[in-house]
Amino acid sequence: MVALARKTLVYEWRRFLPAILAVGFAGLLQLLQLALVLGIFGATSVYITGSSGDVWVGFPGTQSVGSGRSIDANVESRILMDPAVTHVEPYEWVDGDWRGAGNTGGVSVFVSGIDTAADGLMFSKVLSPALRARLAEPDAVVVDRADLGKLGVALGGTATINGRRVRVVGVGSGLRGLGGVNVLTSLDTARRLDSDNDDIGPTYLVAKIADPAQAKAVARRLRGSKAFGPYTTWSAADFARISVRYWLFDTGAGAGVLFLAGIVFLVGAVITSQTLVGAVQGSVREYATLNALGVGVGALRKVVLEQAFWVGALGLAGATVLGAFLLLGARAEDVPVTLGPVAALACIALVMGQAAVSGMAAMRSMRRIDPATLLR
Amino acid sequence: MNATMPSPAATARAPILRADNVCKAFTSGTLRTQVLNDLSLSIDPGELTLISGPSGCGKSTLLAILSGLQKVDSGRVHALGSELGQLDLRALERFRLQHTGFVFQGFNLFPALTALEQVELPLNHMGMSKQEARERARRSLEEVGLSHRFKLRPSELSGGEKQRVAIARALAKEPELLFADEPTSALDAANGQTIIDILHTIAHTHGTTVLCVSHDPRLVAHADRVLAMEDGRILSDRRLGAGASKETPP
Repeated sequence: MVALARKTLVYEWRRFLPAILAVGFAGLLQLLQLALVLGIFGATSVYITGSSGDVWVGFPGTQSVGSGRSIDANVESRILMDPAVTHVEPYEWVDGDWRGAGNTGGVSVFVSGIDTAADGLMFSKVLSPALRARLAEPDAVVVDRADLGKLGVALGGTATINGRRVRVVGVGSGLRGLGGVNVLTSLDTARRLDSDNDDIGPTYLVAKIADPAQAKAVARRLRGSKAFGPYTTWSAADFARISVRYWLFDTGAGAGVLFLAGIVFLVGAVITSQTLVGAVQGSVREYATLNALGVGVGALRKVVLEQAFWVGALGLAGATVLGAFLLLGARAEDVPVTLGPVAALACIALVMGQAAVSGMAAMRSMRRIDPATLLR
Repeated sequence: MNATMPSPAATARAPILRADNVCKAFTSGTLRTQVLNDLSLSIDPGELTLISGPSGCGKSTLLAILSGLQKVDSGRVHALGSELGQLDLRALERFRLQHTGFVFQGFNLFPALTALEQVELPLNHMGMSKQEARERARRSLEEVGLSHRFKLRPSELSGGEKQRVAIARALAKEPELLFADEPTSALDAANGQTIIDILHTIAHTHGTTVLCVSHDPRLVAHADRVLAMEDGRILSDRRLGAGASKETPP
């Protein structure tokens, strides 16, 4: 079979370049937008995803990690009674007002009081053992490297949270939050910084279980006891999802993102289909001649669809290369970007879907192919 | 039917293509133009028939109707035993794929394809194997004298060579009917001469029925039969000895 679609694409590449660029940049925009959104909103669950706890215990009805209420400290013994649980530690969340030495005014911070033991679960994936150990010093805090400027301190500098002095003993990365700056301290320091007298115990209890795959079942099993006051349990994955979804949808940000994705899709599809229509019009006499010779319109449509496919594939290849560079650059600059395999597949589907829609739109212009017009 | 002007030679063979009382009009706004007016004719197999006449006389419309590219308003067209008016779009495409070849005034070659690929392309759609299609395309290009031009694209070919590729594309299908619309009008005298010679040879060596529409007076001498048209009617039907002097297929 003579590969008409591909040969035309190669020979008349200038004609198809705008479509390839349109598809490529639309794909790149979708990719970066998705990575940024997942990165930024993923930050709302860094407490969960950056830790190795399998089951979370908190106040019933909690909508995101940042909006927890304290639970009775004695719940810990109830959790420990379950044979699947191997380790439980408290996690203190304190909303704070940071006053630095620099000219920064007040900065809203989220204080995370964590277990500083070497086998501590909280932030085990983002905090080095050395930094964790240093947190054991009284009033010691660790912040993200990228937040130093905002907080107006340097490494080793001091500031106050809720009127109490703290000292920056280290900086980490991957600790940035959304809506406030994350500050890591020991449980003792966090309790000292907590100015709310109503807090009767930790904000959360985080448990490690023998088989992490059983997290959902164990969480379900631990629910329902009321002997120690109100609490509920989630598997870590569920709680992370709840937190991200809260920010994505209950804040309106998600609707904005979806709207933007729709616009990008539409613009890319319009440019691509117009380019393909142009290519069809440019070859309309040749197509009509083939039709006069008996080649069916269906076979000619396939040529256009195949061209759309190649335009999509080439655009995708360009977007992947550029996107990889940009994402690496973003990572290096501490811009929160995350792209998992599911999101990447979604981007690929979106780009190829866009090419397919464009191809089908261009196919409509083939109705004008009439071999009788070749006879004058 | 009997409106055809019978000629002594034609009565010997059954017509391969026949139009009976064909009418065709075009409407543009409120203006209605009658292009073909109760026209009947029959075309004999294995001949080069030329339809000539001034522009606007309806000769291209007649070609479109006889080849099944356009429908009639009234009347009937029989080609190879089928009545074209009875066939739907699909069946007409299939009919054209199996039985007809076309050569147009514009060469209509794909810029991206080489001469060999231009000829191969329609053969691919006839369900031929890749090998067979390539072999036939080669033979066809050799027959029109382009054996040294297989690998060239249209931009590297002269006008006459392009038209010869277009003829090879039509010829490779080995059609019973070959339609040519003003095949020489974009060419100079020498190239036009080559093209008409090739069409004539095709009719006589392959037994292909070649129906050619042209206002080019140079072609008249090479045709077996010349139909002169004016105002949607056939004015005269001449059979020429010169063209028929070559061998005729059985």
